[in-house]
Amino acid sequence: MSAAYFIGASMHTVLGRGFPASIEAVRRAPSSPQRTLAEFAQQQHSVPYRLLSDDHPVDVERRLYRVLETVVEDALQAAGLTSVERAGVGLFMGSSSADISVAEARYRRELKEHTDAVALAGSSSLGNLAAWLCRKFDFRGPDFSFNTACTASANALVYADAMVRSGRLRHALVVGVELFNVITAMGFHGLQLLASGNMKPFDRTRDGLVLGEGCSALVLGPEPRGFGTFRLRGAGNICDTHSVSAAHPDGSTIAAVMGAALQSASLAAEQIATIKVHGTASLLNDEAEVAGMKRVFATLPPLCALKPFIGHTLGACGLNELLLFCAAAQEGFLIGTPGICASDSDLGVTLNQQACPLEPGNYMLNFFGFGGNNTSLIVSGDKV
Amino acid sequence: MTPLRIISSGNYCEPVTSDPPELKALVKDIVGTHVRRIGRFIQLALIGAGRCAAGERIPPDTAVYLASARGDLEVTLAVFDQLFRESQAPKPLSFINTVSNAACFYTAQQLQLSSRSSFVCNRYFAFESALQLAQLDLERGQVKAALVGVVDVVVPPLDRHRAHLGIAADVTPGEASHWLWLGDAGATFAASDVILAVEQHADYGALMKWLGTLTLTADTLISGGQFLNDPDLASIQREIGVRECFDYRSARAYYDSQSSAAVGDFLGRAAAGSQLLHINADPRGRYSAFMVRKGRGAENESG
Repeated sequence: MSAAYFIGASMHTVLGRGFPASIEAVRRAPSSPQRTLAEFAQQQHSVPYRLLSDDHPVDVERRLYRVLETVVEDALQAAGLTSVERAGVGLFMGSSSADISVAEARYRRELKEHTDAVALAGSSSLGNLAAWLCRKFDFRGPDFSFNTACTASANALVYADAMVRSGRLRHALVVGVELFNVITAMGFHGLQLLASGNMKPFDRTRDGLVLGEGCSALVLGPEPRGFGTFRLRGAGNICDTHSVSAAHPDGSTIAAVMGAALQSASLAAEQIATIKVHGTASLLNDEAEVAGMKRVFATLPPLCALKPFIGHTLGACGLNELLLFCAAAQEGFLIGTPGICASDSDLGVTLNQQACPLEPGNYMLNFFGFGGNNTSLIVSGDKV
Repeated sequence: MTPLRIISSGNYCEPVTSDPPELKALVKDIVGTHVRRIGRFIQLALIGAGRCAAGERIPPDTAVYLASARGDLEVTLAVFDQLFRESQAPKPLSFINTVSNAACFYTAQQLQLSSRSSFVCNRYFAFESALQLAQLDLERGQVKAALVGVVDVVVPPLDRHRAHLGIAADVTPGEASHWLWLGDAGATFAASDVILAVEQHADYGALMKWLGTLTLTADTLISGGQFLNDPDLASIQREIGVRECFDYRSARAYYDSQSSAAVGDFLGRAAAGSQLLHINADPRGRYSAFMVRKGRGAENESG
């Protein structure tokens, strides 16, 4: 079985478009999140949301496609794929909301025009975005759209990697996308999970999450190219049936998924140099995540959290956070979150505070989602 | 590829000509308990998966692969209308269930499974996509067994539902939940019902090249998926020299994932030892194929 290297990538979040801007931003402390209005019928609510830099939610019916096209084209160019190689690409898409932002905008416009408008008319497949990308870039490989909540793009990566390593595909494109939409904003508002300020995972003063927009793309191929020697070394995925909305509080199922990832990577816990936590800053999930890590690691390696910088990008967080982490690792540093979980929290852990040197090694990145879908990735690599 | 043993299949498929039937009692009958606060999509998943288990205890390390072209359309449409027509924020559980893998959660919970779960969408190859993922995991040894299913739900009124599906006013829509319980064929290969191949091809030429590598026995049948047009099916049949078509669709109500019904129908009607080659297509001229063989049964296994 051959390897599948990260050979070209691109991302666009609140931190900026592309890696230089993102890296520059994560060398500093996270900024305060902005608030935006979620408008529906005659109501509007202000919700914390980290919107894409320099592309705010206007012209919503076209915005998603514009963002996707740019990010995917940038990743393909970074990977240096020829037109023949592009044609053979298999597409692995991960998103929670897919093109819901477009469907919402269209429905609201049509409702203003006539009261018998139909929601999702002509747009009721969760595979729409993947189909659009395949047409746009003339990909002729298979396409898969993963809809497993906050693990969607992480799971997309797992299967893209497997397809390349098995030789079924020479190149795979993984895409994670999540843009502002009213259903998501009001759904999390209804769940009372939104923070009053920034996200503070594992911190005593944590009070919820900030939603974020993000779109990222990663090309996998059988030989290392531009993105160093980074590759997915192992992964675990387990369905936690304790609750549809929260992990088992004793950490057992989170420990199990991390154990599955270690086994898949043929590594012992002591060989993990650092953990990128999921860290949603909600009481139940933070407790479960820390309990799970303590079950697996006799001594915890340095922990880093990325949601304080980009918000929770839901189905896209798997790829957004992976690429942000790897881009910093490529520059030789581990991202820090000054002032967030600086001293022992009530959970008995601390987060890395300042950007500090990060040696080449094995890194664990954890993602946990609604519907009990938990995924742990282990990435290995070195800069070129 | 490594053949996959079909341990069992479970099916639910009903045309819907007025309001869809109540499913609560059927769910309770099949899974043995009243599952609260779930919609039709999850109910259908439980019915199909539960029938696939057929009262047996499926090993806990069995993974769940659920596919659909449109996901939980019922709960998604309800949230749209609550928000934009009635000006109400989504109820917490409704919002959580808009994530379609909630159906994987309830399936795993009711069958007491604790392995992987995936929810994957593809407009034209929903079943084939889930099958590919399961095959990949089984082949790599990531899982020991897999439950592979598809669910299609009808959301009345029927005129609106037909508009969502893009079907004509005289076409009867249907609800379906088709599941396969798969494992490694291993030593039981000859006796077992098996999936011999799962493939996707970029175009007609690539499909025909692959078909040219197959050994098609005289008792091989061919069937076309709902998105493969009849002339293409006839052309493929002629080129590879398969004499007989297997029809599993002509009396079937319309739903997106009809391919998934081919396996169960074939195993129920075909002679031991015969094979089914199933080919589907999408509008961009990509092809998806799978091949199933009906086992000879344990009593006929020799050597």
